[in-house]
Amino acid sequence: MTEPAVAVLGVTKVFPVPFRRRPVVAVRDLNLEVSAGQIYGLLGPNGSGKSTTLKILLGLVSPTQGRTEIFGRDSNLVDSREAVGFLPESPYFYKYLTGAETLRFYGRLCGLRGAKLRSRVEELLELVGLTGARDRRLGGYSKGMLQRIGLAQALVQEPKLVVLDEPTAGVDPAGAREIRDLILDLKRRGITILLSSHLLGQVQEICDRVGILANGVLVREGAVHDLLAIENQTDVVLENASPELLQEIEALAAKSGARLIEQGRSRTSLERLFLDATRPADEAKGRNHE
Amino acid sequence: MRIVVVILGLALFGAAKLPAEHALSRAHRQLHFRAVDFDLAMREQIGQLGFVAGLSGFRSLVADVLFVQAHVAWERTEWGRVLLLFRQVTTLQPRSLLFWDMAAWHMAWNASAAAIRDSTQPRLALRIKAQREYFQLGKDFLERGIKNNPDRPQLYEALARLYRDKYNDHEHAAEFFEKAAALPGAPRYEKRFAAYELSHCEGRESEAYERLHALYASSESERLPTLIHRLKDLETQLDIPLAQRIPDPVP
Amino acid sequence: MSRPRHRMFSLGRIAAIAANAFTELTRLKTFYVLLVFALLLIGNSIFMAQLTFQEEFQVLKDIALGAMSIFTSLLAIVATARLIPQDTEDRTLYTILAKPVARFEYLLGKLAGVLLLLAISVIIMSALFFVVLKVREQTVLSETMRQMQASSPDQMAEALSAVRASAFDVNLFPGIAIIYVKACLLAALTLFISTFATSTIFTTVLMVFVYFIGHLQSTARAHWLQANGAGWITKLFLAFVALFFPDLQLFNLVDDIVAGNAIPHALFIKTATLGFFYTGFYLLLAWSVFYRKEL
Repeated sequence: MTEPAVAVLGVTKVFPVPFRRRPVVAVRDLNLEVSAGQIYGLLGPNGSGKSTTLKILLGLVSPTQGRTEIFGRDSNLVDSREAVGFLPESPYFYKYLTGAETLRFYGRLCGLRGAKLRSRVEELLELVGLTGARDRRLGGYSKGMLQRIGLAQALVQEPKLVVLDEPTAGVDPAGAREIRDLILDLKRRGITILLSSHLLGQVQEICDRVGILANGVLVREGAVHDLLAIENQTDVVLENASPELLQEIEALAAKSGARLIEQGRSRTSLERLFLDATRPADEAKGRNHE
Repeated sequence: MRIVVVILGLALFGAAKLPAEHALSRAHRQLHFRAVDFDLAMREQIGQLGFVAGLSGFRSLVADVLFVQAHVAWERTEWGRVLLLFRQVTTLQPRSLLFWDMAAWHMAWNASAAAIRDSTQPRLALRIKAQREYFQLGKDFLERGIKNNPDRPQLYEALARLYRDKYNDHEHAAEFFEKAAALPGAPRYEKRFAAYELSHCEGRESEAYERLHALYASSESERLPTLIHRLKDLETQLDIPLAQRIPDPVP
Repeated sequence: MSRPRHRMFSLGRIAAIAANAFTELTRLKTFYVLLVFALLLIGNSIFMAQLTFQEEFQVLKDIALGAMSIFTSLLAIVATARLIPQDTEDRTLYTILAKPVARFEYLLGKLAGVLLLLAISVIIMSALFFVVLKVREQTVLSETMRQMQASSPDQMAEALSAVRASAFDVNLFPGIAIIYVKACLLAALTLFISTFATSTIFTTVLMVFVYFIGHLQSTARAHWLQANGAGWITKLFLAFVALFFPDLQLFNLVDDIVAGNAIPHALFIKTATLGFFYTGFYLLLAWSVFYRKEL
């Protein structure tokens, strides 16, 4: 069996708080696994231990008990991070560097050089759609652009696992959509994604599995599809149905012991409405001039 | 736990570096570096700001500032203040020959001259007494300067000139010109001057003659008018036989 | 992409971080303000022509070297104090350490960037200083030649060599080098303190205290070693200062160089070595704290 991309094994993290009697338990005996090629969402309210768990995984914080592994390698080892890319929450990066220079810096940190580095930088800029802004200083980037360059830097060494902490926080709907598309694109390439968020609607669309943290404990975990399905209810969506047909269906349902709970117009989402309404203007200006 | 380790590490390193620092300080001191101790007495002398500045490593800058102040005090003929400031300056920078030299000059030449001409003092005896006190102060400066700089000729020479010009003490003048001449870097005239002074000493004329003659014989550049003149005088005084005398100077 | 085996210590990574730190610091306004001020000070001393030439050269050297000393010390502290807090605020610390970069490489890279900045500052200031000194020396030389036209060539030669001797002294170079070593020490110590201090301001203030106490350390040490009748509390305090603080007076050689002292080779080597040991040790201390620091 191939090893999981991420393995969190019995992790507990206690933060001692000076001058207080009771220390803060951020994470309590956490166990979870992310298989390769999945998109896993770590959900929970603020302070539930999401960021702490991610930081433990990346070796930025050490667990009080237990350990974490990335593709079988202990997180405490520096080389376990060869295969990981990380986008932290609300990054600012170096404001005085341009987009291309930032990626070059991170590329050098990963051992890339010369022509290889240059081509990789171009590749990444194109992937995240920032080729037009490559020579602009990051100080002039919008939030969405910063997130995208952040994603690019996380990908610079072609990692097999990408960890995203609140990737769409503070980003407008169009930008959030682009980031989500990028994430899905990464999954298509076989990259495993572990993300944390509290924007549940957005997470619902892309995650394969989710884990819900509350007060440092994993209270729910499983495939999104399974978790969200309300067991005994079925959605049926019809096009061009006449009122007579609908009445027939209701009768049919009653006859076999089911019950028609709800019928009405299918609704689009507010997001879709917004995007449709604002897209023509966006397309004309191009994505890079936000 | 980590804190304990760090503190322990610092303490151990501290214990290891102490002897090294001590040895280095001593080496510095031997070479007359940092022959200055910062203590409360100094703080009183140079004031709080000077003390702090000196402590931060700007000792020479503080000395320079005080030196400029002494210069101004001299222009105003405030001799007491000149003395005080130069005491501070030389305490701060004992290895600067300039300061000792200037201090002595201001005392033994300028202040003394002002004292003897002091129109507010009608009694000559008191004026002479004041003048002598200033000579002594100048001498003090040079002697202390020499103690701090025993390896450099300049202050010996200055002291010799003080003896010669102010005390008319040719013997001591000769002695110090000689000491200056013996040190590396001494200008060539020191030897000559030593011999000149010696020639004015009662009972040491023949010794002086030997010296001057040796200098005369040593090289063309030593045959300066003063030297020749002095030799001629000594020849007459000592009744040197004509055959040994040096040729008369060409007029 | 074929992945080479991870090297524990990579100069390339360190160089990347150092270059980045250097670039970041050259954007620092404080750097330019301090540099301009120091250059002004040095350049201004060209107008000190009212004293005799010996006094003038002495004052010029004192001002220039004093400016260099304070500038590099201040810059070392101020530049280093902000490195880690700034990275934490910008979140770049996480992105860098989430890459296969060891924490020691990160610290070493940052320190190297600061040391490079300091070196370049020292070079710029020294260049200006020597130019000013040369210009004044030439002026005084031609003045002297004009004044001594009537004297013998011997006396003229002696006068000219006296002028030259009080102007340029080859011992100035080791003196300036030791100023740089002191700045390196201060930078490393600041880095250590910034690993556990909570903010840039706190680190800077603490370092200013350390700077002053460091200059008092030799006095404290001397008093501690003498078996005076001082109370045990005083002795303990003095011992504490002697043990835990560096003796910064050891690195102030310029005072005496300007007064005309020569630095023996051995002394210079010893002083510089001690400085580098300090620098290395403080870097090690910084790593020991940063190694397991929760980020």
